[in-house]
Amino acid sequence: MLVEVLASVFNIQIFLFIILGVFTGICIGALPGLTATMGVALVLPLTFGLEAVPGILLLIGVYVGAIYGGSISGILLRTPGTPAAAATAIDGYEFSKRGESGRAMGISTVSSFIGGVISVLALWLIAPQLAKLALHFSAPEFFLLAVFGLSIIASISGNSLAKGVLCGALGISLSFIGIDGITGFPRFTFNNINLLSGMSFIPVMIGLFAMSQAFNTVEGIFTPDQVTQKVSHVWPSKSDWKIIFKYAPISGLIGTFIGIVPGAGAEIGAFVSYSQAKRMSKRPELFGTGIPEAIAAPEGGNNGVTGGALIPMLTMGVPGDAVAAIMIGALTVQGLQPGPLLFTEHTTLVYSIFLGMFVANVAMLILGLSSLKLFVKVLSIPKTILTPMIFILCVVGSYAINTNFFDVGVMLFFGIVGYFMQKADISVSPAVLGLILGPMAESNFRRALLMSEGNYGIFFTSPIAWVFVILTLFTLLGPKIGELLKKKNQVA
Amino acid sequence: MRKANFIVSGVFTALAVFIIVLSLTYPPSNHGVPGPGMFPIIIASLIILSSLSLFLTTFRMSKEADTSVDLKSKNVLNVYITMVGLMLYFILLPLVGFVVTSTVMLILYIKWFSKRPWWKTILISVIFVLAIFFLFGSVLNVPMRFGILI
Repeated sequence: MLVEVLASVFNIQIFLFIILGVFTGICIGALPGLTATMGVALVLPLTFGLEAVPGILLLIGVYVGAIYGGSISGILLRTPGTPAAAATAIDGYEFSKRGESGRAMGISTVSSFIGGVISVLALWLIAPQLAKLALHFSAPEFFLLAVFGLSIIASISGNSLAKGVLCGALGISLSFIGIDGITGFPRFTFNNINLLSGMSFIPVMIGLFAMSQAFNTVEGIFTPDQVTQKVSHVWPSKSDWKIIFKYAPISGLIGTFIGIVPGAGAEIGAFVSYSQAKRMSKRPELFGTGIPEAIAAPEGGNNGVTGGALIPMLTMGVPGDAVAAIMIGALTVQGLQPGPLLFTEHTTLVYSIFLGMFVANVAMLILGLSSLKLFVKVLSIPKTILTPMIFILCVVGSYAINTNFFDVGVMLFFGIVGYFMQKADISVSPAVLGLILGPMAESNFRRALLMSEGNYGIFFTSPIAWVFVILTLFTLLGPKIGELLKKKNQVA
Repeated sequence: MRKANFIVSGVFTALAVFIIVLSLTYPPSNHGVPGPGMFPIIIASLIILSSLSLFLTTFRMSKEADTSVDLKSKNVLNVYITMVGLMLYFILLPLVGFVVTSTVMLILYIKWFSKRPWWKTILISVIFVLAIFFLFGSVLNVPMRFGILI
C-alpha cells in the first residue's frame, strides 16, 4: 500500500494541483473579505471533473494556504484576511509600524508550517485508530455522536446560545426537505420536483459563506483600499527561531485538539493559542506591542486546526469545522462516504490525503518564504473588480453540481439569508453543521429504534454510548454549572 | 440589536409553527418507530424554546446595552440594489444565456463599483466570463447549457 500511496501523491500532476491549491489559498486568505471557507466553497466546483485524490488535495491546499494567507493582510493592514488571523493582526501590525513586516511574516510562515505539520502528524496517528473504534459504532452510537456534535455547536457558536441553537436548528430543518430515507415519504417538498431529492448542500454552503460575504464587501465597496508597504527580510533571525520552536509546536497541538472538536474552527484555535502563549510567556505585558511569540502562537494554532478538523470528518463523518463540512460535500460528489469504512475500503485514498496534506504544508512554507512579495501584490487587486467576479463564481459553482438552475436560486436565497443573519449577529456555521449532523442524528435514531423495536433502552446499552451521553451533558450543562459555582463563590 | 432580536425570534417561531403544522399531517409512528413527522416536531419545538429564550433575554436587556443594526444607511442600500440586480441576473440567465448575461452583469457592476473607463471594464468582463466559460465547459466538462444565446 505504501508504494500505491507514494505513487498517487508523488507525481507531477498531484504536486501541481497541491501547489495550485496552496497558491490560490494564500491569495484568497490574504484578501480581506475572502475567508478560507469561502475559498474552499468557490474552488469546490472545480473538483467535480477531477478524480478524488487530486480534487480533495486541491481543496486541502486551498484550506492550508488560506488559513496561513490571512496573516499577510493581518500583519500589513491590521485587517485580518480571514477571521483566523484576527489574533495575529494584533501584534503583527505593530511589527509593520516598526517597518519589520517581513520579519513578522517570516515568523508567521514558519509557525504556520510547524502547526500544520503537527496537525498532519496527529491526523496520521489518531484518525486510523479512531476509525477502528468507529467501526464498532452502530445506529445508537452514531445518533449520540451526532447529538454530541450538535450540542458543541450550540454552546460555542457566537455570543448568544439561543442564536446558535436557532441557526443549528435551521440547518437541521433544511435537512428534512426531500424524501424521508426510512419511510420514503416526501417531506416539505411542496410538490416541487427539485426538492424531492432534498436541499442540495453545496449551493447552501456557497450562498451562506461566499455570497453573503460578497454582499458584506459591497457594503464597504466605495471605501478606498488600503495601501501596503514593501516587504523584505523574511527569513527569521536566530532569536526568532528559538521563540518559534518554543511556541509553535504547543500551539499546533492546541489547534489540532480544537480542530477535532466539532464546530470549533481556526479562529478559536488561534485565540486559544494566543492566550495560552500569554500565560506561558515571561513577558505577558508585552503582548500587543509586537513580539514574535504573539505571532508564532496564533499562527501555529490556526494551522494546527487544519489537520485536526479532518480527523472527525474522515473517521466519523462529523465535520470539525465549516471547511471540513464542505469537504464532506466534495467527497460525496466523488461517491465517497466519510466514515470508518473509508479507512477500510479506500485506504490508499485516505493515506494519500494525509501525505498530500503534508506536501501542502511544505508547499506553503516554500511559497511563503520565496514569494511573499507576490502575495503582497495580490492585496492590490481592487475589491471593486473582485466582488462582481465572485458573484459569477458563486453562480457557476452552484450550477455546476447538478447543472440545475434551481440550485442557483437556492444559493442566491441563502446568500441573502446569510447576509441578514450576519446583521443579526448570528454565526452561519452552525447551520451547515446542522445540515450534516441533522440527518445523521435522525436516520440513526430511527434505525436504532427499528433495531430495538421501539425500545429506547438501546441508546444506553454500550459503554461508547454512555461516553457520548456524558460528554453531551457535560457540554450542555458544564458552562452553566461553572457560572453557578462562580456566583456561589462570589456570594460566599 | 433589540429590534433585530425580536424580529429573529418572531421569524423563527413562525417557521417552527409552520413546520409543526405540516409535520402533524405526516404518517404517525409505527410500532414504536417514529414516523417522518416526529423529528421535525422535536426540532421545531427546540426552535420555539430558543426563540422564547432570545425574546426574554432581549426583553430584559438594558437599553444602554443595545447596539444599533445598520439596515438603512447608503452602504446597505447599495447591498440591496446589488441583491435586486443579481435576482434579475438569475431570471435572465436561463432565458438569454450565460456568456451574454454574465458579461453585461459584470460590466455594469464593475462600472458602478470602480468607475473605470468603459473599454477597460468591458475588456476585463469579457475576458473573465470567457475564461470561466471555457474552464468549466471545456476543461472541467461541466455542461454549460445555459439559455438560447451562449
